[in-house]
Amino acid sequence: MNRKACITLVLILLFCSSFLSQTGTKKKRPLPYEYGRVVINNYSEQGNLAPVVFEHWIHRAKFTCRVCHVDVGFAMKAGGTGIRAADNERGFYCGSCHDGKKVVEGKTVFEACSNPVNSADAKRCERCHSLGKKVPSDFDFFVFSKPLPKERFGNSIDWEKAEELGLIKPATVLEGASAGRNALPVQRDFALSPKVEGMPDIIFSHKKHTVWNGCELCHPDIFVGVKKGTTHYTMEDNVEGKFCGACHTTVAFPLTDCQRCHSKPVHA
Amino acid sequence: MSQPIMIVLFISAGLAALGGTRAIGGPSLRTAQSAPVKESWQKEFEDTCSKTQDAMTFSQEELTSLISRCDDLQPQIEKLDETRKKVYLRRLKMCRGLYAYVLDSKRNEKK
Amino acid sequence: MPMCWTRRGTKRNERRRPFLALLCAVFFLTVPGPGQIYLPPPPAEQPSDYGKVILNSHSSTAGPGPVVFDHWLHRAKFTCRLCHVDIGFAMQANATGVKAGTNRQGFHCGACHDGKRLFEGRPIFAACSDDSKGKECDRCHSLGKWGVRKYNYDAFTAKLPKGFYGVDWMAAENKRKIKLVDSLEGISVKRVPIQAREDFTIKARLPWVHPILFSHEQHSAWNGCELCHPEIFPTARKETVQFSMFLNIEGRYCGACHGKVAFPLNNCCACHPLGPFWMAGKLGKTPDWVLFP
Repeated sequence: MNRKACITLVLILLFCSSFLSQTGTKKKRPLPYEYGRVVINNYSEQGNLAPVVFEHWIHRAKFTCRVCHVDVGFAMKAGGTGIRAADNERGFYCGSCHDGKKVVEGKTVFEACSNPVNSADAKRCERCHSLGKKVPSDFDFFVFSKPLPKERFGNSIDWEKAEELGLIKPATVLEGASAGRNALPVQRDFALSPKVEGMPDIIFSHKKHTVWNGCELCHPDIFVGVKKGTTHYTMEDNVEGKFCGACHTTVAFPLTDCQRCHSKPVHA
Repeated sequence: MSQPIMIVLFISAGLAALGGTRAIGGPSLRTAQSAPVKESWQKEFEDTCSKTQDAMTFSQEELTSLISRCDDLQPQIEKLDETRKKVYLRRLKMCRGLYAYVLDSKRNEKK
Repeated sequence: MPMCWTRRGTKRNERRRPFLALLCAVFFLTVPGPGQIYLPPPPAEQPSDYGKVILNSHSSTAGPGPVVFDHWLHRAKFTCRLCHVDIGFAMQANATGVKAGTNRQGFHCGACHDGKRLFEGRPIFAACSDDSKGKECDRCHSLGKWGVRKYNYDAFTAKLPKGFYGVDWMAAENKRKIKLVDSLEGISVKRVPIQAREDFTIKARLPWVHPILFSHEQHSAWNGCELCHPEIFPTARKETVQFSMFLNIEGRYCGACHGKVAFPLNNCCACHPLGPFWMAGKLGKTPDWVLFP
């Protein structure tokens, strides 16, 4: 009788589990200047500092994804890298650029996490450790994005077109971090067929992705399958942040922009 | 009744211990990453992992040799200080992972 | 505890049995999943108040008071897609996080309410403008204030066809009484439209419930694709998304709109128009989507 009751209970819980899933509601859409914001809080609160707020839009205009995520070694998930102040002080992670010496576009990049820290440095710490604080930034999103071509969703900026028009020039190497690299050979674009009939095929631009990401960013961590067609994934997987959703839910254009991928002719 | 509580207490103690050790920081050394003199493992790392974008053009033998070079680098990197170990192990993992991935795909093509 | 209650052969358990039966009945009727026979109640408010959203995330602390947003005025002029996809409003009250500052920057309400954009030949009043002299604030921040709103529901909807509950918006559009704007200059980005999927039937969980005839074409005319996909309905394979009336009543899936702004869920025949499940095949359409019981 005990076993039967247990089985009944498990079955009831399975029935109830449908209401525990996250789908069925529309999430809040971040504003253009909030999209790509990463809050990092591995150790900040332990050090009596506010968690770090990292804005992707400032950095993605200046560097390709590969520079930070492959050459410098940042993880693809908030908190995944485990950055410590000591790492920054030694010139790694944020400290690869934020060392108080490097010059970008004529400005010296402010130093991250110096040691020792005195009260005069508090303002500098707050430039990153700014969650919940109103900290003025050197870069204003509206001023920054005004000349750039518009797109819907995400940052409301068409980053691809901005680069084509030469309005942004993301650096592909970082002195000291990137080993000497040759130009990337052109990769072939290919089509992916969706499972839902009636949806246009996905034209995946391998070329565009490799120009920004290199190879290691996606292979094999995000896309394990070696032979094309062996990795099966669905929109639900993407929405959960796997596969395409690793980038296209948080930093790259979001999944709501259907036609950017589901376009028989390549979206140029 | 007492057994589940013991298990829960044991797990909580374990987690607390883990949390405690993570809070300990390391000594703060100010070393610039772009130091004038590169150590031998660093040169080897740069030589091995700067070729990832050409991975598709290498033969299976070349890829196998690159993978074994990565494997040789691993123990050298593990002996480094905490920061450099963390950074370079991740970069090595991505680099080696890519070469292994491309090697797999080439082997699959042949089949 | 129930395990020893159900052991047979004891007098004590015989006494407990009716109580246990009652407990099970209450559980199955109320807990989501098993509680499939839960019927949606009619909306508590009048049609004029249906779809009213009170926005109160920042206004009461700042001074002007909570905002009252009436859906009926805007839905007579714009598609759902324009506000909820192009402009980016959330689908729940206070979830968007509208602020006076962001309105002035041209987001959310400020996308149209900027004092410059023309609609029907007149400039739309600026929301949260610095130099409004407080006159226009009350047009939105109107909770509890009388005589400040310009449009009256009864006067506005007098000539619109009425349905099961309030205005029948579909009929109003079909009869050309309302014409919905789907694109906003400077905000909407033109896309090659994806061919809307055809209508399909959904077999209900309980065998005595009529199947649902879902009109994809009609929904995508107002909502586009992005409003529902992939967040509300992340379907690649139909059967992977399992939902029930209870979840709809909770405000998820169909209930994201129906019960809040679109026709309420107690309008059973609007979705369940066909006969019992065995008739679905006779209409020439086999059920495309089976909700598992």
